[in-house]
Amino acid sequence: MAGHASNDEFFTQLASLIDKQQQKGHGSVYMTQKRLSYDANAATPTSAKVADDPLWDLHPPNPLPLLVRATDGKSQCKDRKKHKNKVKISTVVQPDEIESFFARYADVCKAGMQSLKKRDRSKRKKDKKKKAPAAGGEVKKA
Amino acid sequence: MVYLGTSEEWQHHSALLLQARPTTARITTKYKIPNIDTPKYQKLKKRKRDGETDEKDATAPKVPKAWLVLKTYDPESGVVLKFKTDRAADVGRLINGLGRLGRHMAALPVKEEAPAHSVTQSEPASHQAPEAAAPRPKEIAPATVDAKAQQGSGGGGGKKKKKGKK
Repeated sequence: MAGHASNDEFFTQLASLIDKQQQKGHGSVYMTQKRLSYDANAATPTSAKVADDPLWDLHPPNPLPLLVRATDGKSQCKDRKKHKNKVKISTVVQPDEIESFFARYADVCKAGMQSLKKRDRSKRKKDKKKKAPAAGGEVKKA
Repeated sequence: MVYLGTSEEWQHHSALLLQARPTTARITTKYKIPNIDTPKYQKLKKRKRDGETDEKDATAPKVPKAWLVLKTYDPESGVVLKFKTDRAADVGRLINGLGRLGRHMAALPVKEEAPAHSVTQSEPASHQAPEAAAPRPKEIAPATVDAKAQQGSGGGGGKKKKKGKK
């Protein structure tokens, strides 16, 4: 497996992955986030279990980065063999970048997920708007 | 496997789970557009054709409607919390919620908003904070053992209860 992509690369790849499934008309996108408790640079895991403390992970000395992954869920072909074309991207989010990362993450998801129900789709709301000026008291209550 | 009724509920329970198991718990967001050509959806159509031909045209969506499922899973305790939505309006709010939960994962303090609102007040407070913060970890260390144990069992209990309902 290739290393983690940078946050920028992750977003461009995630956008294209969502777009691909959207164009295809069906399919899934799985996005996972978890604490990154393994440091590739260190020989041993950074958050090694502290002896005699079963709750060693509840109060780490430093904030830990997050690992965010995205796949298309195509781990198997129809003939139960490993899928060659599985899309699998991952990135590491540093603790101080969490807020900016999730702001962009939300934008990418909002832009990409076009098959969800839209807000102004129903005719009922239009009817309500028409009724609204006629019956102002009811609207205030609602 | 439990589907929670509201996103707030999901957010709350996920936050508790992450506080108890910050290293093992993970959050998966699934965006799924169903394939309406698969037999699963063809069957549904046929059934409608047999019974109500007129209504079928009105109800059958030509464009597949996607949905979003948020899942918090902790492999160590086996707790699964799920929330499902099909509204585009929810996406932004939910992803921001993921960001807030991400702070739990990263072991950052829960909210940064509080000091931003009370900038002037926080100055004297910040002087007190180190003094107050210093004894806290010692106090918390034994306290969390009980608290987290309760949370873990409480989460499991809640899950079982909800399973029973459904």
